[in-house]
Amino acid sequence: MAEPRRFYLWVLPALWCLVHSATPASAAPLDRAAFAADLCGDGAAQVRGAEGLVQAGGDLPADDLAFAGRLLGALAERRLSCRAEGAVLLDRPSASEGRDAVSGAPRPVAEARAPVLGLRQRAALETARGTVALLTGADPAARGAGLSVVERRIATVPAAVLDRARDAETDPALKGTIAGLAQAAALSSPDPARRRAAIAAVAASPSGTAQARLAALKSDPAYTADPAFRAALDAGLAQVSRAVAIGDGLAVVYNGLSFASILFMAAAGLAIIFGLMGVINLAQGEFIMLGAYATYGVQEAFRRLAPGLLDLYLFAAIPVAFGAVALAGIVVEALILRHLYRRPLMSLLATWAVSLFLVNLVRVTVGTQNLQFVMPAYVSGGVPLYADFVMTWNRLFAIGFAAATLVLTLLILRRTPLGLDIRAVTQNRDMAACLGLPTRRVDRLAFGLGSGLAGLAGVALCPIYSVNPGMGSGLIVDSFMVVVLGGVGSLVGTLVAALGVGGANVLIEPISGAVAAKVIVLVGIILFLQRRPEGLFAVRRRR
Amino acid sequence: MSGGVQTALAAPAGPARRAVRDPLVAGLVGLCLTAAAGLLVASPAPYLVNALGQLAAFAILAVSLDLVWGYLGILSLGHGLFFAIGGYVCAMHLLAHGAAVTGVLPDFVQFMGWKSLPAYWAGLDHASYAFVLALALAGLVAFVFGFASFRSRVNGVYFSIISQALVYVAMLLMYRNDTGLGGNNGMTGFPLLFGWPMGSPGVVTGLAVAALLTLAAVLAGTRLLVGSAIGRRMLACRDDETRLRTLGYSTTRLKLGIWCVSAMIAALAGILYVPQVGIINPRVLAPDLSIEIAVWVAIGGLGRLGGAVIGAILVNGLKFWLSAAMPEAWPFILSGLVLLVVLVLPNGLLDLVDWRRRPTWLRGTR
Repeated sequence: MAEPRRFYLWVLPALWCLVHSATPASAAPLDRAAFAADLCGDGAAQVRGAEGLVQAGGDLPADDLAFAGRLLGALAERRLSCRAEGAVLLDRPSASEGRDAVSGAPRPVAEARAPVLGLRQRAALETARGTVALLTGADPAARGAGLSVVERRIATVPAAVLDRARDAETDPALKGTIAGLAQAAALSSPDPARRRAAIAAVAASPSGTAQARLAALKSDPAYTADPAFRAALDAGLAQVSRAVAIGDGLAVVYNGLSFASILFMAAAGLAIIFGLMGVINLAQGEFIMLGAYATYGVQEAFRRLAPGLLDLYLFAAIPVAFGAVALAGIVVEALILRHLYRRPLMSLLATWAVSLFLVNLVRVTVGTQNLQFVMPAYVSGGVPLYADFVMTWNRLFAIGFAAATLVLTLLILRRTPLGLDIRAVTQNRDMAACLGLPTRRVDRLAFGLGSGLAGLAGVALCPIYSVNPGMGSGLIVDSFMVVVLGGVGSLVGTLVAALGVGGANVLIEPISGAVAAKVIVLVGIILFLQRRPEGLFAVRRRR
Repeated sequence: MSGGVQTALAAPAGPARRAVRDPLVAGLVGLCLTAAAGLLVASPAPYLVNALGQLAAFAILAVSLDLVWGYLGILSLGHGLFFAIGGYVCAMHLLAHGAAVTGVLPDFVQFMGWKSLPAYWAGLDHASYAFVLALALAGLVAFVFGFASFRSRVNGVYFSIISQALVYVAMLLMYRNDTGLGGNNGMTGFPLLFGWPMGSPGVVTGLAVAALLTLAAVLAGTRLLVGSAIGRRMLACRDDETRLRTLGYSTTRLKLGIWCVSAMIAALAGILYVPQVGIINPRVLAPDLSIEIAVWVAIGGLGRLGGAVIGAILVNGLKFWLSAAMPEAWPFILSGLVLLVVLVLPNGLLDLVDWRRRPTWLRGTR
């Protein structure tokens, strides 16, 4: 559906331009001598010359525009000398020699008589210079500067100038700005047919700004006076509103999905550890933080050793962060938690001590500031999909990352010997031990796996969150709620709960604010636990 | 673990004698009373007096957690919430009282551009109303939350996590500026206490003495409670809740009642704490602070009331000293202390004194 519409959007103005430039009257070149004479004349003549140029600007050949631009520039900078035999361009103000404005022949100038500009003339002159810069500027910056000048006096600039500038523009961002400005100008044009066409054109590319622009027209006198205009406006507004609502809905779904995937990444490791050993790992947030810092380390290593491959550091960081944080987890398990398996509340305090230690270790060694990450092209920017909905690459990265992690973790748990051991110990530790499974070794590996998943969450967070020593504490409460809601030790439950909590947060936030969203989610979870105290998907186990 | 019910239901004795028969608690109560008398007789530097008073408030808070954690096995990671309720209501009273006497509105009211205190502050300039309100509010919040949790048998680590989420959400709520409770800056600048200028030596000493006396009363009261029939039921519930329920006791009602009492004691600590530090802000609701309360109890010794007092005073005393002397080292020392206690002294520092009195539910661990 978008394709044909876009086709018309491009082709129709182009055809229109062709038709218009083919008509002899509008193709007339600039009368250079008369223009120079106007600029040399009195105030009224100067204004006439400048405004005449702006009016004709849409159709003039490029070299005429360049000529006019040189003259206007010289006039503004007082390098234009007006003699009886014609205008002379000087290299610098009050030079003794210059070139004839029209013919370009060198001409001596005894005493320079530079015309003085009044306030009114200056405004007209600026608009004319802006028009020339917009149409013939060498680079997008120059054309953008011209555009901003034109924008200030948009009422005096004919649509043809903007259309021509838009069609010739190569820079996509600037092109969009010009198109928007052209539409806005057309909306307030005196010609009713042109206005209705502009409304249709605005409605064809819906966005929040288009909606606001159209809604503003409702207070226009023509809305009550002209039924055709009213019908066109109402239809256009309805179309835009619908599209904007759909686009906003898509954005909510997308944001909810990305938030859910972050929650899932943060909670997956927690769920495995909790389910297997009954250990609440309060240091999980700090493991995520360690993963992010490992990513930073990989980035710095790339910067030193292989600057050309810097963009790939995020992928290189995946195994590094997983390995480093898994190792940290295994060390914590071996040194501390191993002794506390029968005392879950004490292991909770022990992991809190670990988290306190880690936060302050990073704080002392690296500092408290946010880390600066290089954002490779694949995680910066986004693609506008529909109305105001922009699919940002960094969130897409997080979603894809979480999906890949989910698949891999499920494969590990369901298809590998380690996964079989983990599931056996989760279901019945004593029985598994009787059958000869080294349950303590399984615990250690599972703790490593769970910690490694937190490290991966750290990688996924780098393009989205600010990375600092305190980042873990902001995530830990949310991910605990996900684990409790999902049912301990169930990866699928964790996924569903993450989707639920993430979705609820994103849905409620725009209505009643972030705090209310957290309150409602918490109350919802408490109410839910009234019915299912073990969470959504409790792992069935014997005790 | 199976022997829990029998040991807990051992022969009772008279209530007063039982309180005295715990030499640790009796000693601590005596120490509190001596310290209070000492403060009144000799007047040390106000800084020391104030520190002593704050430590007493923390000790009350620790006792309130020990009551539910040590005797019921319910670890609350959200006890800061009840502490904050007491503190906030106390701060509201101090500000309302100050505004009623001096006619100057608190800073945050002027900051929000309001003309008067919010409507629900009405009557808070009366100390007795504020006191009752603080306790009632803490009890009510505890009741609602506890009812929802205990009825559906959310317990163990689940309960800990949910209570942590509760305090976290409360923190987010209090960071908002439109609640009429000072927002992220909290409430400060209390001018008067019962008409006396805040910060004068008499008020500082009076607050410290009040905190010490309250600590003594709380210790004696909770010791009587845990020594009574209810206390034995609490231990039984902690050691084997299913069995106690099967025997026909309503464990939900028992847990809910003790939980509410504990919350009100925590609120009492908050009421005593805020006038001594002169400020309350949402940071008391940070999950970390609530966990720290559990750390005090664990370090001192779980399930023996006196241990909580010793832990709270030791950790906070160290903190007062070290966070001034070497602020960077304090977190490392605290985490090291926790790990040491958790790994080597599973029953807290009291293990150093007495190995035999380890509670049943901690015996048999590796």
